[in-house]
Amino acid sequence: MPTEVIMPKVDMDMATGKIMSWHVAEGDRVAKGDPLFDIETDKAAMEVESPGDGILHHTAPEGMQIPIGTPCAWLYADGEDVGPQPAPFAGQSEADAKPEPAQAPSAEAEPELELVTAAEAVETDTATDKVRATPRARALAAEAGLRIADLIGTGPRGRVQALDVETILKQGEARPAPTAPASFKAETGDLAVTRSKGGTGTPVVMIHGFANDATSWAAVEAHLKHRPIIRIDLPGHGKSPKLRIDSFADLVREVRRTFDGLGLETAHLVGHSLGGAISLALADTRAKRLSSLTLIAPAGLGPDINGAALSGICRATRAESLGPWLRSLVAEEDLITDSYVRLAMAGRADPNLRAAQTRLADVLFPDGVQAFDLRAALDRIDTPTRIIWGKQDAILPWKHALRAPGTMALHLFDGIGHMPQIECSDAVGRIIASSV
Amino acid sequence: MNMHSKTDLRELSYAEAIREAMDLAMASDERVILMGEDIGVYGGAFGVTGDLVEKYGTDRVMDTPISELGGAGVAVGAAMTGLRPIFEFQFSDFATLGMEQIVNQAAKIRYMLGGAVSVPVVMRFPSGSGTGAAAQHSQSLEAWTAHVPGLKVVQPATPEDAKGLLLAALEDPDPVMIYEHKLLYKMKAHVPEGYYTTPIGKAAVMREGKDLTIVATSIMVHKALDAAAKLAEDGIDAEVIDLRTIRPMDRDTVLASVRKTGRLICVYEAVKTLGVGAEVSAMVAESDAFDYLDAPIIRLGGAECPIPYNPELEKAVVPQVPDILEAARNLAKGRV
Repeated sequence: MPTEVIMPKVDMDMATGKIMSWHVAEGDRVAKGDPLFDIETDKAAMEVESPGDGILHHTAPEGMQIPIGTPCAWLYADGEDVGPQPAPFAGQSEADAKPEPAQAPSAEAEPELELVTAAEAVETDTATDKVRATPRARALAAEAGLRIADLIGTGPRGRVQALDVETILKQGEARPAPTAPASFKAETGDLAVTRSKGGTGTPVVMIHGFANDATSWAAVEAHLKHRPIIRIDLPGHGKSPKLRIDSFADLVREVRRTFDGLGLETAHLVGHSLGGAISLALADTRAKRLSSLTLIAPAGLGPDINGAALSGICRATRAESLGPWLRSLVAEEDLITDSYVRLAMAGRADPNLRAAQTRLADVLFPDGVQAFDLRAALDRIDTPTRIIWGKQDAILPWKHALRAPGTMALHLFDGIGHMPQIECSDAVGRIIASSV
Repeated sequence: MNMHSKTDLRELSYAEAIREAMDLAMASDERVILMGEDIGVYGGAFGVTGDLVEKYGTDRVMDTPISELGGAGVAVGAAMTGLRPIFEFQFSDFATLGMEQIVNQAAKIRYMLGGAVSVPVVMRFPSGSGTGAAAQHSQSLEAWTAHVPGLKVVQPATPEDAKGLLLAALEDPDPVMIYEHKLLYKMKAHVPEGYYTTPIGKAAVMREGKDLTIVATSIMVHKALDAAAKLAEDGIDAEVIDLRTIRPMDRDTVLASVRKTGRLICVYEAVKTLGVGAEVSAMVAESDAFDYLDAPIIRLGGAECPIPYNPELEKAVVPQVPDILEAARNLAKGRV
């Protein structure tokens, strides 16, 4: 009898998991505990280990949504006859899904937090992480192949009502997320990676925040010269192509691909803000390759974010309009000089870059709300982790740090805003250096 | 409601319709007798029996002593021995005194005697508030008896149904409780002539609509219809269902309506908590009609207090047309 490889339940309200990639080829031998496959749920991605020893057969196709508790592959013992697949997969592959909407409906219209927060963020019931929707709206959405979580509820407390589904169906579009500004032209290609010269031992990989780029690490890097430093530019930022990104999961997938492409056996990972959220998501799936994780004012730990500042920065076409928003990033406004602002604006001169970032902000932070939630990942990871935050952060509330489990170190700085790596680069540099 | 000829526009009051039903039954079936306090020469506390004592004599229209327990017990016994008694409680509130006979005897005898004997008794309960009769004479306690298997419980809202349901109750082999709202006794409407019955266990769609369903009982049916007419001016199309029987409840009619409208308000005068509206709501929530709900269910019922004597307070503790209007507008506009 072959052993079933079961789709595990890793999230409270997870109904299915999507097979992202198999680590082991069909017909290859695996040992118990070996990384077997990566899955993606509504909220996070993670690596699943082999439940036993054996030879892997009948693997579910990548991209397939498998309901939890049902098999996605089978392990055979040596010499055991490999017959036909013992049972069909309970899941649905993306290819089976209707061409519209783009996203495959999950086996059940399982709620998720994403996007629904958009309607009435303040009143949305984050305590349960469930989407509010009426039974009729759920039924209509299921019938139309729409995910209830993709709909914006206009009812009390953001409840999705039948009207909301009907509105979307009338518009003939699956996803109400704002469309890209007309000027945004999606590009393709690999993310830009830059490396320092010199340094030995385990490299430090750095991921910058939204509307920033790899150059923001310069001050901190002065303390890390003993290690190789690798910086990744996010899509639509710095020297990276302006990829079309439709969700936080999309973004993580791109960065993970780049990270995997680095071919590192181990690395220290440092991320700031949005880059912090991505680093946390990477740690969730690449735990074995991370020696340490440093999150600086990371996103993803609560719904609140300063949406006005994000859109202000995206919108600005002149130094005069960019300056006030840049100053809101730091506690000590004098740090942001006029010449700094002009330089920053010059870096944002490309309208397609601004359009790409505007669209990314709309996708990740619709209506000024963090539409993704990594709090569960924070509890899951066992990589040694530090969280650094400024207590005058006006972009992301530092109190989100208090969500961290006791095993993580918190470094909370008074009189520092959203950019500790610039505002108190020496202290931050020393903290990172102490673990790398 | 529309089964009968519309060419006959004879109108009767609700009380007259009940009296006509009793008269018809007594004329055609000598087993039918009337019992109750002051129903003879006095004609009943609300004049429902009127002058029937003159027509049928004191053997068939019997004044009973001031003991609801005794009167109800004699009625149950008479039913067991072959008569078709109609027992009137002066006020439904006094049924508290006859509950032993209703709950432990009438409802149980057929079951406990293995079906050998049935209890074809009809009990009438003048109930509800609005007459200034204060806390002990104004209650709506129909849910008490509706909780007991073995009883059937009806609440006619119109003169036509008051007559039809009483005649249906007399045909029924088991005990039937009829809750009549005191404020309806003087209400006049078309009542068909002659003998007919209104089926027990069947609700009536009083007004068809597509936007929301109002399930109402007794006098609340009329308040719901008033509200629906005003809602129509706002472009809100309310369906109004008169439940008519609360045990056994007409599941099919209610569920079909909710499947159509996706929104439900239950309106009843009895105290809201653990009342008829709770049963209607639960019935919908437990059924496939749940999938059609597009908003939470709303119950409008009586306040958590005795009925006050002060006329303004008396009105304030039970649902009125503006309450239904407000709830329906909020519900229809997705604000609930």
